[in-house]
Amino acid sequence: MGKYEENLRKDLNVKEGLINFSTKHPLMVIGIIVILTGVFAFQLTGMQIDTDPENMLPVDEPVRIFHSQTKEEFGMHDFLAVGVVRENGAFNADQLQRIYRITEEITEIEGVIADDIMAPSLVDDIRQGGGNTLIIAPLMEEAPETDEEAQYILGRINDNPVLKGKLASEDGKALALFIPIESKDMSHRIAGEIKAITDKYGDGGEYFIAGLPVAQDSFGKEMFGQMVFSAPMAGLIIFLLMFMFFKNIRIILPPMIVAITSIIWTMGALVWAGYPVHIMSSMIPIFLFPIAVLNSIHIISEFHDKYKKYKHKETTIRHTINELFKPMLFTSATTVVGFLSLLTNNIPPVQVFGGFVAFGIAIAWLMSITLNPAFAMLMPDKALRNFGASDDKDTFFSRFVKGLGNLASKKYRIILFSATVMVIVSSIGLSMIIVNDNPVKWFKSDHPLRVADRTLNQHLDGTYMNYLIFDGGEDDAIKNPELLNYIENLQKYLEKNEIVGSTAGITDIVKKVRFELFGGTDKEKYSIPQDVIEVGQILFVYEMSGGDPDDLFKMVTDDYSKANLWVQMTNGDNQAVASVIADAEQYIQDNPPPSNVDINWAGLPYINVIWQDKMVTGMGFSLLISFIIVFIMMAFLFRSALWGLISMLPLTITIMAIYASIGYLGKPYDMPIAILSSLTLGLSIDFAIHFIQRSRTIHERTGNFRETYNEIFEGPGRAISRNVMVIAIGFVPMFFSNLVPYITVGTFFFAIMTVSGAVTLLLLPSLMIVLKKKLFPDAKI
Amino acid sequence: MKKFSISLMIVAIVAMFAQGVWAGDAEDLMKKSHMAYYYAGDDGLSKVTMKIINKKGKERIREFTMLRLDITEGGEQKYYTYFKKPSDVSRLTFMVWKNPDANDDRWLYVPAVDLIKRLSADDKNSSFVGSDFSYEDVSGRHWTEDTHTIVSENETVNDRAAFLISSKPKQEKDSFSEKKTWIDKETFLPLKEEYYNDKGKLFRIFTADKIEEIDGIITITQRTMENVKKKQRTTIIFDSIEYNVGMKENIFTERYLKNPPRKYIK
Repeated sequence: MGKYEENLRKDLNVKEGLINFSTKHPLMVIGIIVILTGVFAFQLTGMQIDTDPENMLPVDEPVRIFHSQTKEEFGMHDFLAVGVVRENGAFNADQLQRIYRITEEITEIEGVIADDIMAPSLVDDIRQGGGNTLIIAPLMEEAPETDEEAQYILGRINDNPVLKGKLASEDGKALALFIPIESKDMSHRIAGEIKAITDKYGDGGEYFIAGLPVAQDSFGKEMFGQMVFSAPMAGLIIFLLMFMFFKNIRIILPPMIVAITSIIWTMGALVWAGYPVHIMSSMIPIFLFPIAVLNSIHIISEFHDKYKKYKHKETTIRHTINELFKPMLFTSATTVVGFLSLLTNNIPPVQVFGGFVAFGIAIAWLMSITLNPAFAMLMPDKALRNFGASDDKDTFFSRFVKGLGNLASKKYRIILFSATVMVIVSSIGLSMIIVNDNPVKWFKSDHPLRVADRTLNQHLDGTYMNYLIFDGGEDDAIKNPELLNYIENLQKYLEKNEIVGSTAGITDIVKKVRFELFGGTDKEKYSIPQDVIEVGQILFVYEMSGGDPDDLFKMVTDDYSKANLWVQMTNGDNQAVASVIADAEQYIQDNPPPSNVDINWAGLPYINVIWQDKMVTGMGFSLLISFIIVFIMMAFLFRSALWGLISMLPLTITIMAIYASIGYLGKPYDMPIAILSSLTLGLSIDFAIHFIQRSRTIHERTGNFRETYNEIFEGPGRAISRNVMVIAIGFVPMFFSNLVPYITVGTFFFAIMTVSGAVTLLLLPSLMIVLKKKLFPDAKI
Repeated sequence: MKKFSISLMIVAIVAMFAQGVWAGDAEDLMKKSHMAYYYAGDDGLSKVTMKIINKKGKERIREFTMLRLDITEGGEQKYYTYFKKPSDVSRLTFMVWKNPDANDDRWLYVPAVDLIKRLSADDKNSSFVGSDFSYEDVSGRHWTEDTHTIVSENETVNDRAAFLISSKPKQEKDSFSEKKTWIDKETFLPLKEEYYNDKGKLFRIFTADKIEEIDGIITITQRTMENVKKKQRTTIIFDSIEYNVGMKENIFTERYLKNPPRKYIK
């Protein structure tokens, strides 16, 4: 006895066991599922939410460690930008009085680091006083009484390199506050409290709140809202569509239960395993829903077709599961492989996502083949009286499916030609893909955060901040004029990049203090002294004259061994940020820094660039791995490399077509699109498996190609078409989501279903006609 | 019931009365403490080492010689500081004329550019040479700026009997909302201070670490200010102190900023 037969026997034993168990003990099946669902649902109470995008990198990732170390060392915090724009100018007494009071109230918000707020009333300004006096004092100690005083403050901001472009636009139309916060996961709440304050004082100007932390945290929060709304909404529509097809509520109840319980089990297991629900894993329900429903639709569809033949529940169930067991096992297994391949990606939330979706699919498979039969067994026969009868009639739907078969058999040359053209056109589109992401753009263009992002970045030097750290390796290294000159030149170079609004560092403080020390009139003194002692004394003057040491030590460590250059950017797109990083690299390559100086980046936008990089390369690898594994599985399933290759065509063409259209549309390849590749692969192989496996089963029975061809466009064809419609239409509501990734996911479901469905039902039969002698060698024509 | 309310009233009256008497005593104690701490002798010459120790435990050292002359007892004072370390600020000098009723006058001489500059003194709470001590901590906060109450007369700090006094600023916006001072019963020197912000949170702690008798005057020769939030502290160590050396007032002029008085600064 060959190994294959041995396996087949085991396989049959499992199958028989499952069928027997669920048909003989339906109540027990339901009972076990109910109890376990209760156990997993209980775990959900311990759910913790993690919206920190830094967690896209492992905790021990060097880039991340350096970022935290930098924040710690320079006392930097994540911040929100709050801006007001008045077309006729924000620098008047009325507006500044409001800003003064707004700032005062913001300092009281829990989680705001009041000492480090950058606001006119809180930042220090360096200026000349009467009688040769150097003054370092708050820029706006009291709210101005007159517009002249307000204009004076604008002048002071424009004269201070550290404040210019940050606190105000040069023309004074915009005014901004930078609010540092204790941790990123407070930013959504704090933004809400700030909004309440600005609403209170907000006559005249329009107020905006922006910043990466608030975008990312708010996205996390809104995402959960969407999850709670979108998944049930899709569920409802899927339910209605299934009712339309099968017209029996009791028979379509199990798929809904399978979907919901597999989601509960998966999320419960995730929480149980101690993982917080990250932005990524909050997508699990929306991914699991359609996958969980797919198998059931095949079962019900087949049950529906067979019931009219056998008119006996248990017999129908046995035949249905018998015929569908293998394709369902393989479609589920390939989808599992698609998601498990994400484990090769070294982004922890992606791994968790992949692992648990795979778990959920396995659960959904198991439940589909047990719960559907169990429910059917419990149904009274009279409830099934008219079930399946409708297909006897020549409905539009079944005519349509048969029409596809006819089309393929008549126009197979045109179909094959079109497919080839599609592959060529797609290849070009693939090369046009632009990799880019910006968490702010996960919101729709008219979302307040997007509007704030656009407005503030248009008027000011930017709401995105990276830090370039110069490590001189020893105490006082930064005071060395050679290094200060180097930093100054690098600043000038970086500022040529159009997204760099400004840079600020210890160089600017040295120049400003020196200029003011010499009376504040001699422009030549606005420069770096070329004597290390003078640098040391100028910095000492800053510390002596009431300058807050904490302000200074945001740009240099207190031992003067490291400097922190703030690079403020008006655009948070990874592509744009990467261009700034590339500029710095180029400069450093062309102009080696003074010896022993180490230069490294920190900052949230930088971290985003890094994980995107890892993600994109990681996704490519995952996709390749799962592609190979799925091919091996197919060749094994069909015991034929040729069949294996053919089965890979729908998914290959689907992936190419979908990703090519992203290239053509110029839509950036971002995080959501990247993770959807595994879904695309996992789902678009399914129809091919059903189509081919069942063609072969039918052919074994009929031994006749024509008969096989016609029969495949009956039941199996209808099941595939039903799936296409149910899933594609089920996710249409997501097109109207507020969050771009949800729109993307909805669009993908629609595209995956329609493209892979069409390719399966048109290209595969065309190929079968052309290759029938090779594919069905023993066929009688 | 009636009895109870009467006795309650008596308690309240006594408490009010006691508080009134104590408030006067408290202010008197604070004044005595201020005089003992900031006005010891008629003048003072000290060599000082200042250590700023950040949260990682890393030290920054400043070394300077400080001259002080009292113009009026409990009132005007003049200070002259000559820096030796860190080495890049060596020869930098700094002068303060303290005016209890108005803003101080401050001058700074920067030798690298040979320039004297006046510094604004609007903010007495700003850091003194980048340390955790503020200008006000160094030259003293006048006792009339706060209302004082004695919280306890039976405290001990480092085995020394002390009063505990609570001080609240009279001005609405100040650098703290409450200060607790432990005053040595014997010398009236402040042994410890705690500063609380408007949320009632402790944010600064002063401690007198070492007390010695010099020229017959009990002196705190080592003191520390800890910034609780920043987890940073500054210790000032007086390596040597001389009192009543007979300083002349003309030392405290711009001329001597550029040319330090050799007599006191070697």
